[in-house]
Amino acid sequence: MPEFENDAGRLTFKLVYYGPAQGGKTTNLMQLHELADAQMKGELMTLETQHDRTLFFDLLPLGFRTASGLTIRFRLFTVPGQVAHDGTRKAVLSRADGVVFVADSQRNQATNNGEAFQNLAENLGRVGLDIARLPLVVQFNKRDLPDILSEDEIRARYAEAPWPLVFAAAIDGRGVRETFTALLHAVWRRYADEFDLAGAHGLGEQEFVAAAGGGMP
Amino acid sequence: MNPGNEFDRDFTLQELLAPRDAAELCAAATGLLGVPVSLLDAGGAPFADSAPPAPGAARAPLVLELEPLGFLAADCPPSALAGIARLLRWGLLSRARLRMVSDLHLEAVRADYAKLQQQNEALKASEAKYRELAANLDAKVREQTQIIDERQRQLYQAERLASIGQLAAGVAHEINNPLGFIGSNLFAAERYRAQLAALRDVIPPAVWQQQDLDFVFADFADLLRDTREGLERIARIVRDLKGFSSVDQPEEQLVDLNAQLTALLAVVNGQKPEAVNLVADLQPLPPLMCLPGHLNQAFLAILQNALQAVEAGGTVTVRSRAVGDNITVSIRDDGPGIPAEVLPRVFDPFFTTRGVGAGTGLGLTVARDIILAHSGKVDISCPLEGGTVVTVALPA
Repeated sequence: MPEFENDAGRLTFKLVYYGPAQGGKTTNLMQLHELADAQMKGELMTLETQHDRTLFFDLLPLGFRTASGLTIRFRLFTVPGQVAHDGTRKAVLSRADGVVFVADSQRNQATNNGEAFQNLAENLGRVGLDIARLPLVVQFNKRDLPDILSEDEIRARYAEAPWPLVFAAAIDGRGVRETFTALLHAVWRRYADEFDLAGAHGLGEQEFVAAAGGGMP
Repeated sequence: MNPGNEFDRDFTLQELLAPRDAAELCAAATGLLGVPVSLLDAGGAPFADSAPPAPGAARAPLVLELEPLGFLAADCPPSALAGIARLLRWGLLSRARLRMVSDLHLEAVRADYAKLQQQNEALKASEAKYRELAANLDAKVREQTQIIDERQRQLYQAERLASIGQLAAGVAHEINNPLGFIGSNLFAAERYRAQLAALRDVIPPAVWQQQDLDFVFADFADLLRDTREGLERIARIVRDLKGFSSVDQPEEQLVDLNAQLTALLAVVNGQKPEAVNLVADLQPLPPLMCLPGHLNQAFLAILQNALQAVEAGGTVTVRSRAVGDNITVSIRDDGPGIPAEVLPRVFDPFFTTRGVGAGTGLGLTVARDIILAHSGKVDISCPLEGGTVVTVALPA
């Protein structure tokens, strides 16, 4: 549930980039820090790493102020992908308002993707979130690498799934903003009524997405 | 998880900076800039012990993410103040990161601990299950062992019964043959005696009297009659022996238990000491489906114990009654009774109070097994008035 602070006039969404180890979650945030043209953009906070791999999380704050005076913040987190850090991963996932699942397109990573998604589903259950109602976008990253699953293969596999599917090569920024945009759309649809974004704050879906730094440049 | 301790909460200046630290920082900044420096909170009010800033003083925001959590204020060029604010932000950011990481770590440890506890509970549950299984297994094995023991005893006894039965059948057969020709010879002898009596008319009376043939003929007739009686007794004993061993009837059959008891008493009567009085008190019974040979063996074992209890003289009473759907047979002796500490053990296998070789310690055990196999019950007690009563109840 997004955190609404009436006194401070602030609404905060927690968005979590989840996925298998070394799938490019941190790279997504680094690129988004460059690409998103949100009204307010903080520095990317990268916590301790070990051999260039996330141990705790990365945090990218983005935000904008509405004409109505409401500050809308997005705090984008990554989780540590390594299997051993499940406790940390679960703690970062708690209180999430939206999730990007960053999958690895390489053929030999299919099993890891499956296990990571299974882990996401389980941990969502453990922290009391309903995967059927949570805004979720699936990103297939690393399209720049050889020996990857074709887009048709992936589409066929995800044909039954209800989530938006985005192809990306985060290393050179391809698809990063599109992924974030898709998540912003899902977030608006899920929470707009609850916080009367369109009514009280004059925020339609397109305005919301554009102000948050999504949408087509 | 305590609310308010989430790792991803928004930090306030108060959380990151103790008043003493704030005073020290302001003093240091004042030293660097040469003018008094104040620290203000997010709302612009002086933080902790900071002095209010001079009117018109420059302000530099302290931003960690998007919005300022405080300000530095001093009457100096804004660029110089911004530089100091930048330095202070680094310190605050480091503290915030440390807090986030340690809080996150705490959350993760709690989550892991909770997970471990769950696994521990599951392990405990499965351990308890296996423990219970093991315990049951033990009881099950004991139960099975007991059944095997019982079956072995029954088998042993059945074999013994079979050999006794065979012996009895063999003896009966062997005796029946000579009995047959003794009987027919006796018949011939009686006929000859009648023919010999006709000699009286041809033998001179002097010779007749000299030889005392009147007496001889009379006594001869008595002897033959006595022999005939003896023969009939032997024939009856053989018949009882066969009936008792039931060698001819290895299958279950419907019998009148009273007839069985009567045959049994007839066999025992010949063995009992003179001083013992054996009384039968039998009342009509419904027919009983049973293995007669086995039941006879059971009653014989009980009866033998009773007879031994009154060896020196006394009475053994065998009573049969129909009680509802049950047949009860009680065998009572007026002997010395059984000591209380021995009473619970009399049915135990190989328990005997007699000398080595005198008893196997299996008689009553097998009797009980046989009666249980007939879905019956056997009970032994020593009433206050003395003696011992063994009561057998069998479902008709």
